[in-house]
Amino acid sequence: MKKLFGLLVAFSLVAAACSGSDEGGAEATAENPVTIQMWVAFSDDARLGFAEDRAAEFTANHPEYIVEVTSFDSYNTVFEQAQLAIDEGNPPEIIHFFEAATQEALDAVDKDGNPIFQSVTEAIDGRTEILGEEVVLGDVVSAATNYYTIDGQLYSMPWNTSSTTMFSNMDILEAAGISEPPKTWAEVETACDAIMGMPDAPSEGCITWPNHGWFFEQALGQAGANLANNDNGRAGRATEVMLNSDAALDYVQWWSDMEDSGNYLYTGTQRDWDGTSAAFQAQNVAMLVYSSSDTTALTAAGDENGFKVQSSFMPFNQDREYAGNLIGGATLWMTAGMDTATQDGALAFLNYFSNPENAAAWHKLTGYIPITNSAVSRLDGEGWYAESPNSKVASDQLDAAANTPASTGALLGNFVAIRDVVTAAIEDILVNDADVATRMQSAQDEAQSLLDDYNELYGG
Amino acid sequence: MAVREQDNLTINVGKKGVFVGRDWPRHAALLLAIALVVFPLAYAALIATQSNAQVFSFKLTPGGNLGKHFDQVWNDRSLGRFMWNSVVQAVLITVAKTILSLLAGLAFVYFKFRGKWLVFFFVLITLMMPTEVMILALFRFVSDLGWKDSMAGLVVPFAASATGAFLFRQHFANLPRDLSEAAQIDGASPLQFLFKILIPLSWNVVGALAVIQFVFVWNMYLWPVLIISDRDKQVVQVGLQGLQSIDVGLTFGPLMLAALLASIPPALVFIALQKPFMSGFALSADK
Amino acid sequence: MGILASVIISALLGALSFGYKSRREGAMGAALGILGGAVILGALGFCTFASDAESTEGVLGVALAGAFAWMFGAGTKAVFNQRAADLGSGEIRTGTYNLSWWWPWLLLSPTLLILVFFLYLPAYQTFTLSTKLTRLGAPRVADRCLSNFSDILVVNPTTVAIIPLIAIAAIWGIGLWNRLAMPGSTNAAIAAAVRPFGILILIFAFYFIFENENGGYRQIYVNTLIISGFTVGLAMIAGLALAYLAFGRIKGITVYRTLLIWPYAISPPVAGILFFMMFNATGGILAHVVDSFGNFVGLDVSLPNYTKSVGLARATIILASVWKLLGYNLLFFLAGLQTVPRAQIEAATLDGANSWQRFRKIVVPALGPIAFFLLITNLTYSFFDVYGTIDFLTKGAPAGATSVAIYEIIRVGVDNGDLGRGAAQSVILFLAVIGLTAWQFRQSEGRISYGST
Repeated sequence: MKKLFGLLVAFSLVAAACSGSDEGGAEATAENPVTIQMWVAFSDDARLGFAEDRAAEFTANHPEYIVEVTSFDSYNTVFEQAQLAIDEGNPPEIIHFFEAATQEALDAVDKDGNPIFQSVTEAIDGRTEILGEEVVLGDVVSAATNYYTIDGQLYSMPWNTSSTTMFSNMDILEAAGISEPPKTWAEVETACDAIMGMPDAPSEGCITWPNHGWFFEQALGQAGANLANNDNGRAGRATEVMLNSDAALDYVQWWSDMEDSGNYLYTGTQRDWDGTSAAFQAQNVAMLVYSSSDTTALTAAGDENGFKVQSSFMPFNQDREYAGNLIGGATLWMTAGMDTATQDGALAFLNYFSNPENAAAWHKLTGYIPITNSAVSRLDGEGWYAESPNSKVASDQLDAAANTPASTGALLGNFVAIRDVVTAAIEDILVNDADVATRMQSAQDEAQSLLDDYNELYGG
Repeated sequence: MAVREQDNLTINVGKKGVFVGRDWPRHAALLLAIALVVFPLAYAALIATQSNAQVFSFKLTPGGNLGKHFDQVWNDRSLGRFMWNSVVQAVLITVAKTILSLLAGLAFVYFKFRGKWLVFFFVLITLMMPTEVMILALFRFVSDLGWKDSMAGLVVPFAASATGAFLFRQHFANLPRDLSEAAQIDGASPLQFLFKILIPLSWNVVGALAVIQFVFVWNMYLWPVLIISDRDKQVVQVGLQGLQSIDVGLTFGPLMLAALLASIPPALVFIALQKPFMSGFALSADK
Repeated sequence: MGILASVIISALLGALSFGYKSRREGAMGAALGILGGAVILGALGFCTFASDAESTEGVLGVALAGAFAWMFGAGTKAVFNQRAADLGSGEIRTGTYNLSWWWPWLLLSPTLLILVFFLYLPAYQTFTLSTKLTRLGAPRVADRCLSNFSDILVVNPTTVAIIPLIAIAAIWGIGLWNRLAMPGSTNAAIAAAVRPFGILILIFAFYFIFENENGGYRQIYVNTLIISGFTVGLAMIAGLALAYLAFGRIKGITVYRTLLIWPYAISPPVAGILFFMMFNATGGILAHVVDSFGNFVGLDVSLPNYTKSVGLARATIILASVWKLLGYNLLFFLAGLQTVPRAQIEAATLDGANSWQRFRKIVVPALGPIAFFLLITNLTYSFFDVYGTIDFLTKGAPAGATSVAIYEIIRVGVDNGDLGRGAAQSVILFLAVIGLTAWQFRQSEGRISYGST
């Protein structure tokens, strides 16, 4: 087929310009630098800019390497495009994958059946310093280490890690006579009744959060319930998904009740980070459960629009023992099959990228947790937490979690599609008042068949 | 048949047009229609100047953020780059389609060959094969060629068009036959005949096709969503997606400004080629 | 049993489509039909009748065999007719070039190559993909026979088999009624009036065979029908009304026209963005206007968030699409109005016909071909291009109520990476397009002719 295509290319008016030629050379020199491609799922100035700046600094410090950052609009896009690049056998050196893609990254193989990615632990091979950059992999905070450790190894280098926290508009809360953000579902209900009972209640509702699978998983983690069998896929490949456990049904029911009572604002769109955040910033809701990744920006938005934002733990079900929240976010994966010089360059960059100084700067910029323990103590020493207490909440919440499979989070094939099944079911419940138990059962069936499909193609 | 009168759409009978009653209600109705049609654009232009805070407080006066937003979308978020990519893609496809369609029309009208009707049906059938219904397979195929993230992937699959071939075939078939006889006596090759005689007689059709194709390509969305992932190579319609949230949450102003800017080039092409476009259609509508 | 049924049905349909005037013709048709059925079932490895296949797959297998039998019969007949016509009439054209045989092929080759590689090949691959379970980058591919299709149909195979048969019988009945009715009688008039709506019976029938469970395809089908139907209907009516208004001489008409036609150049995503802004619940003008109006008259009214209300979400998409299509339709209707016979209008005016009578008796018939052309282009728009609008406006919300066929294909095939299921949905959309085109050709027989050469 491709030979035939020579003909067509001759005819076509456009020559396929770019062809990713392989930079070979065992030796990396300043005259003949090695290019390291890095695909990042951010496109906003702040976060993409951070990655680009670090890449430029690294290139300046190590002129024998050029780190090129390519930006994508979302995790899903990077994920899809990476699959394509893998299919073509031409993936970049470093890829930014979100947590839900972990199983699929582990399973990814090239056309000859060799794994696409290489374990970072293995590649570092016990070294404490690579090209003069200190190795920080061992210093990564436990919540992230637990999530991403598989068979005793860290396959990828954790980068942006967050948890779900709640942001409260304290001006509204205080006007309703509430001095502290509510901690449990029951307290949220009480607070909301007070807030919505005010004459100048917020116009769109009391509380909101995006209809994203991550929040559902958080609620399961809080209740100590697993999402998948085999210890959430950590004792062996997950073969059964469990979307309709009691803990899951309780959460969806509470969510649905909150919507029915008018306390919860559903923006009407799944995964609507933008819409929920806009409603909070416009003071049309009093509370927002969100990703801690936007702590800095949301706090600043409050200042700009003239209200005080306070961050707190994600509210949990008071009727169940609190087992802890999980992480979310993404890690940097390194493709296999690089020559030593390229691989060392990539490893050095990954460790430079999250060295204490950079990890602390990243945290301040966004609200993602400081990813290493030394970054935490560095920030503490600077007095950052005293100055900006909202920034400490996510780390504290993660530290409060028990180290069980439930609060570590699930490893699951076809996770992205399964999340979409969950959000579609919840939307159906919120918008069309579908019965919680029946609808979650049909979501369960659909998700199970997605997992079966995946395991048929990748498993065992 | 060339259309000579400039105002060829008007039927003029006596002092008043056939459809014309008294004038002022029509003016009023037309103005109302225009107000409704233009409102979304005018509103977007207003929002484009406002900050989020102004948007939330429903100020109907322009805010002072136009320059800032322009800088944000054009420089920081490389809207200019997206638009340039779209221009390149649209021009390449428009030119390629026009040339290939002219060649096909030439072959269909001025040549006899075995299996012509078979070829004709082969092309005709593609009219009921919209790319969209095979987009997943096309996507896989073009990716296999290594054309992902390349101009080739954006252009080549759309370089041929059955509609264009039929448009020119129909147009040529209606031209006097002695043209080609005379050309052959003069010893002109088919290509010389095409470029020296046929094309100059076909500017209206070429212009009409060019407007349709340019707008079609400029507005293309689904295909680039799939085939282009590198932001530097993205086209404008998809590039708009990345502008939905610039700071935190929705940023309305820059998004509206970008939407308006993205609508300018096809409008310019439309205005520039309005005359041949209208006449080209008047021609085909005569059929 | 499935194979036996396939053979009988293939033979019958082959003969029906090819012709059965003589015994020889009938036999040949039957043979062609069986060949057609065998080709497609053979390509599938007869998996539809395997012991582990679902009954619905068996029903689909028989239907596929029948469809291919029909295609083989009708196709061969068309080829024969064409050759007979070619031999009979010949081509009387002067001024054609008499050069080497390869000249026309050289001129056509770029077009043909692109059509082969970027239309025919992917079309074929869509069909093969639709029988697989696969993902981009997956190390394995699993055969799925027709289960990607049976998954989106109702569970009961009898329903899948019976309902389309009833619909086809009903359409046949209408045809028969037409033929039997006394020409000139009221009966014949009713029959003739009913005839073009036969397609509605099929549309209605399909509603019942698509899966109705949560997330089933029936919802997608209904969404597509509603959004396409209203978009096309409203855009055509509004376009004609505007064309009528903007036709004829009046001061400043060129400016009026340009301002009205201009949105034609707006893209579907931009249409989505502009309407997103107007209807946005947090910052949009409409919510504010309704709110202020409510405050003014002292009522507690507010515009519901369009992404949460099924009706409003669909209406917003339809409105944005109509707005975007309006300029295009106006343009073509203006060109069409030009072809309205002037003399007849003058005569009618002198005879004292009012404008409505003139419109109905003279303008509408003259606009027929243009209206038909617009119907098809608008339908294409509402099937495919609306993707961009939906992606910016609702992303399929609420609860999938605005997810149309093309949107679902991308969601399943790309977002979920399930290429096989996505391809199966593509095949269904493909069949719908083919059906509509065939219907278009039937309806416009004698009016729009591409001729043979």
